Amino acid sequence: MTSTTAAALKPPATPKAPEAPKSPAAAHPRIALLRILGPAGRGPLTAITGLALVKSLLPAATALIMAALVERAESHAPATVFAAELVPLLLFGLVLLAGHVIDAATGPLTYLARARIDGAHRARLARLAATTPTIEALERPDVQALIRLSRAEPENWTERTPADGALGQLRLLLGLTGLIGSCAVLAGYALWPIPLLLGPAAANQYLRNRQAHQFTRVWRASNPEWLHADVWKQAVLTPGTAVEQRVFGAEDWMLGRMMHHALIMFEPIWAMSVRLLRNEWTQFLLVATPLLILFGEVADRAAHGRSSVALETAVFAAGWSVFQTLGYSEDVRSVRAAADSLVAYDELCAALGPSATAASAEVPAPAPAPDDASDAAGLVRFEDVSFRYPGTERLVLDGLDLEIRQGELLALVGLNGAGKSTLIKLLSGLYLPTGGRITAGGRELGPAGIDAWREQISVVFQDFAKYHLPVRDNVALGRGRIPVDEDALAAAARDAGLDQLLTRLPDGWDTPLSRAVAGGVDLSGGQWQQVVLARALYAVHTGARLLVLDEPTAHLDVRTEFDVFHRLAAHKHDAGVVLISHRLSTVRQADRIVLLEDGRITETGDHDELLALGGRYAELFAIQAERFTRGYDDRVDPDQEETAPWAA
Amino acid sequence: MGRLTDSDPDDTAAAAPAENNTAEALDPAAEPHHSARRHLALGRELLRISVRRVPGLTLALLLTQTAAVAVVAVTALCLRAAVNASAQGRAGTAVAAALGAAVAYAVTAVTADLGGNIKGLIIDKVSLLDLSASVHRDIASLDGIEHLESGDFLDRTVIVAGSTWSIVNGFWAAVMAVFGAAQLAVALLLLGTVSPWLLALLGFAAAPLWFDQRGQRAVSRAETDTAESYRLQQHLFDLATQAGTGKEVRVAGAGEQLASRQAAAWDHAVRARTRAQVTASLWTVTGWFVFSLGFTAGLAAVIYRVAHGHGSAGDIVLAITVAVTLLQSVQTTVSGTTTATAARRVVEPYLWLRDYIEAERVRAEGSTGPAPAALTRGIALEGLTFRYPGADRPALDDVSILLPAGSVVAVVGEYGSGKTTLVKLLTKLYRPESGVIRVDGTPLAALDTVGWRAATSVAFQDFGRYRTRLAETVGLGDVPYIDDRARTAAALTAADADTFVARLPEGQETQLGRALGGVDLSEGQWQKTALARASMRPGPLLFVLDEPTASLDAPSEQEIFLHYMARARELAERAGAVTVIVSHRFSTVAGADLILVLDKGKLVEHGPHAELLAAGGRYADLYGLQAAAYAS
Repeated sequence: MTSTTAAALKPPATPKAPEAPKSPAAAHPRIALLRILGPAGRGPLTAITGLALVKSLLPAATALIMAALVERAESHAPATVFAAELVPLLLFGLVLLAGHVIDAATGPLTYLARARIDGAHRARLARLAATTPTIEALERPDVQALIRLSRAEPENWTERTPADGALGQLRLLLGLTGLIGSCAVLAGYALWPIPLLLGPAAANQYLRNRQAHQFTRVWRASNPEWLHADVWKQAVLTPGTAVEQRVFGAEDWMLGRMMHHALIMFEPIWAMSVRLLRNEWTQFLLVATPLLILFGEVADRAAHGRSSVALETAVFAAGWSVFQTLGYSEDVRSVRAAADSLVAYDELCAALGPSATAASAEVPAPAPAPDDASDAAGLVRFEDVSFRYPGTERLVLDGLDLEIRQGELLALVGLNGAGKSTLIKLLSGLYLPTGGRITAGGRELGPAGIDAWREQISVVFQDFAKYHLPVRDNVALGRGRIPVDEDALAAAARDAGLDQLLTRLPDGWDTPLSRAVAGGVDLSGGQWQQVVLARALYAVHTGARLLVLDEPTAHLDVRTEFDVFHRLAAHKHDAGVVLISHRLSTVRQADRIVLLEDGRITETGDHDELLALGGRYAELFAIQAERFTRGYDDRVDPDQEETAPWAA
Repeated sequence: MGRLTDSDPDDTAAAAPAENNTAEALDPAAEPHHSARRHLALGRELLRISVRRVPGLTLALLLTQTAAVAVVAVTALCLRAAVNASAQGRAGTAVAAALGAAVAYAVTAVTADLGGNIKGLIIDKVSLLDLSASVHRDIASLDGIEHLESGDFLDRTVIVAGSTWSIVNGFWAAVMAVFGAAQLAVALLLLGTVSPWLLALLGFAAAPLWFDQRGQRAVSRAETDTAESYRLQQHLFDLATQAGTGKEVRVAGAGEQLASRQAAAWDHAVRARTRAQVTASLWTVTGWFVFSLGFTAGLAAVIYRVAHGHGSAGDIVLAITVAVTLLQSVQTTVSGTTTATAARRVVEPYLWLRDYIEAERVRAEGSTGPAPAALTRGIALEGLTFRYPGADRPALDDVSILLPAGSVVAVVGEYGSGKTTLVKLLTKLYRPESGVIRVDGTPLAALDTVGWRAATSVAFQDFGRYRTRLAETVGLGDVPYIDDRARTAAALTAADADTFVARLPEGQETQLGRALGGVDLSEGQWQKTALARASMRPGPLLFVLDEPTASLDAPSEQEIFLHYMARARELAERAGAVTVIVSHRFSTVAGADLILVLDKGKLVEHGPHAELLAAGGRYADLYGLQAAAYAS
């Protein structure tokens, strides 16, 4: 796979935000925003609040000081004026400095608060998603969409993190105190200017906010079109497709398509922008009209001596500050967007939560203790197991009986979609059977004690994890519940044939396996497969008693595959081995082969027995053997990860 | 960096990261004095493009910003006049000036909004319609693909393609910074009208500007320094929350560790960044402290003058009004400069890409020969050698062989033996390091690249999964006929795709890709679309199937294999076409006329199947290994 990042003209597309939030938090999403301020810490929050309160009063203070300066300059004789002005002058200096200091101090405080709030939120979310016992919810596209929305990682400018919204909400509320200050100054002159200014200012703010939301809506509605444009953008940037684009001379067509879709996305947005620009006259009128009336009246009265020049000065300053306080603020957008994100988080908790808490609550009833299990005849037994994916009709498994034994290399064979990967998910407790039962050492697998069971198994999935961490962690995370065992690491590396690769890595065990990390390297598919094999064997060396491999050699050539197979065979005495493979030339060497067809095991035995049986396996083997001798490929039927039906 | 990628045949290359010397030499950042001039030239170019693309908006933006500068002066002057006239009892003047101030305030509110929105619109349009269009065209129109394969080049190409918006944004941010500075200068000149002594404040205003910049640099540096931790926490978070890796995370019990490592990486990044924020904030405070001190002293001077009859009360109002707007001006200037500076991260790769493309175009000159209409002798490889940048051994090493006209040639070998490299050399995607490819005697390098490629067709191993309508995915193989449904239908039939196409909701018109509201195909079905695409061109002279059936089930594979063999014979008959089948399975190739066995880039054996078996060499050895596995 290439590592081409999602590079877009604008940040990449996102799914649409939920239109009508319905969770409990939806009723008061803005209140909920204030509730998540906690992790910021008492200190930073108090400081932010205090500073914001002081700052909000500065415009009014400036107006009053300016009035005082003007008043004393007018009324005092030249000889005494300087002494009289000293106090307001110093006050002015302080207010000026305070404004700047508050701004400067608020920056890092806000940054810290934001990082703490979002950090706590993300950590909570990661733990929640990573520790639900089954995988069912996580495989649902709607749950993945909720994770994307609530993970505090804006994908485009319309999204905000929860902390953005929470702090924005706080600022909006505190800003209102400034309004009180300015109105108090105005009241010193007369009461009528207060409604005169507040009305239009509030109307102006309402209009600005509404336009901002409209623009966001148009942008979000058009944004999905970007996915279409991105198909062709990526096509010219990704090595594989760039090769085809060149050979087929398709660049004009592809780039034409990219532009076509980009314009479908942007034209409504641009049209909206132009409409908003044209609407600016409303803002002009709403600001200018009340100020014209107020300023004209005040100047007239002052000129006629009916009011002091100092008061006139104060009114000028306070009048304008009303409009500044009630102006449009990005915080408005933040609050709205962050509220969406919190609602998504609540929905996510609902989707992932109950089963998670149920599992952690039921501590007892652990899976078989090791000695207990060794008495049992079979390691794992599937008894009349049936399974269908939630929300679907088709039974993937239907009356399946299977015994997995200690000390045996068992091969699982079946055509595409026969349910091999599903069987492994059930075996690992990632899904629960919809019928029948699975027992391990005589005890039924269920949410309770699933962790204890998983400590005894080790599974190599087709889509294994490639951690951007040192090789050591990449291997040791095969068994994350125990401290790193150096001896087991060395043994696993030896068994998996990783030694050779380790000597070639710049920092050996400490080399990070990603070029995105300093001193790190990218591995090839085959090299990764060796690392993952070591990961699985590490688990075996630290006590896992069942090793399951889903197509472990898909990336390997024939010679290496042989090699790997024999390494695995050597471990079957420490642990039972279950192997899924399409290459019957490999499978034939297993101790026992089971054929999965129509959701159940239809044939079982070793290679010779199954050939003698003359059933489906014999037929498949014959096809492969004949195809080989006639010069065709040697795979029965390759299979990707069986996807859940809703992904099909 | 060491090449350790998957599709690359270099599986056995050293895993150690190696410096890429070529990239180093091309890095424009190596010549800073040179780059300042280039940045200015780029700025002029972007202004020209903006004027051409959106003349009205560009003019409107410049006018708005000019107005924003002027309105600072107008507001302060009006307020002064109003206060002075009021004090002197001149009602008419006082009211007129006050009304002027009211309008000036309203204009301030409007220009702030207008400026931002117009700028956004200009940047959107210019970056999409001009810059992005030309960058993508440049990237797509190069003959070779080194800029997309070599790690370092790819990084830069991807940055540029994803950030044309930032380039235009950086330019306009610089323009905004200039206007911010102008606003600052106008404000201070106004103070100069009160007393020339106050012009000294210009010096004090430089303090916040200078200190703020310093702080912002510390912040940017901290962001760069912690980018790795930040990326790591993102990566770990994704692993913890995705379904695919979630299976393994649960079984291995790695969830808690992932979550705590994610939190630790986040904290690490945040700690360093908060420290930088505090540093920046201290610098800012220092700057404003100096300024506030200076300004208060200046204000004292104004008051002193007023008290001694050299000025008016209005002067005080003016001075304070100006002081309050200064913050805004300084912030505009600093944020504009910071954004423009940050855009260097994108501008440097952009300038590099333009140089690279220019150099490649010059190199491609002279390839103008037309492709032949038919092959008579064939395609000859003479001492063909190719090495990936930074690799320690050639991927293809001194290969000489004639691929006779009208033959089916199979290329076999293990991973890393150079099979795919050979295909890419044949399609002019790579230039040989040494040696030559001759098409009926004419060197391939002398043939027009587009013309030669039009005479080929390829199904690549690393084929594209284009999520568009099915017919288009296929029709891309012969673009002029992309809407010719009969042709695409025939190509789908050739790829044995009829059964699955019949099951699609809208047949050939079905949109592919679930995320795009369409249908997801299985890997095998995607492979058939790639094969169908390769069948679109009616009479290629060179037809390549690179691991064509790896994801197909047995009956399909057989069907397709037979079909393509028949097609190969027909093409050979008609125009002497050469068909090349690449495989790392020895079993697929027995029927070929000529088998090339590659090992670590060297051609170790060649000949027909029977001959190679009889020779008892490497081919026979590996073939035997597989054959034995099926022996009863």
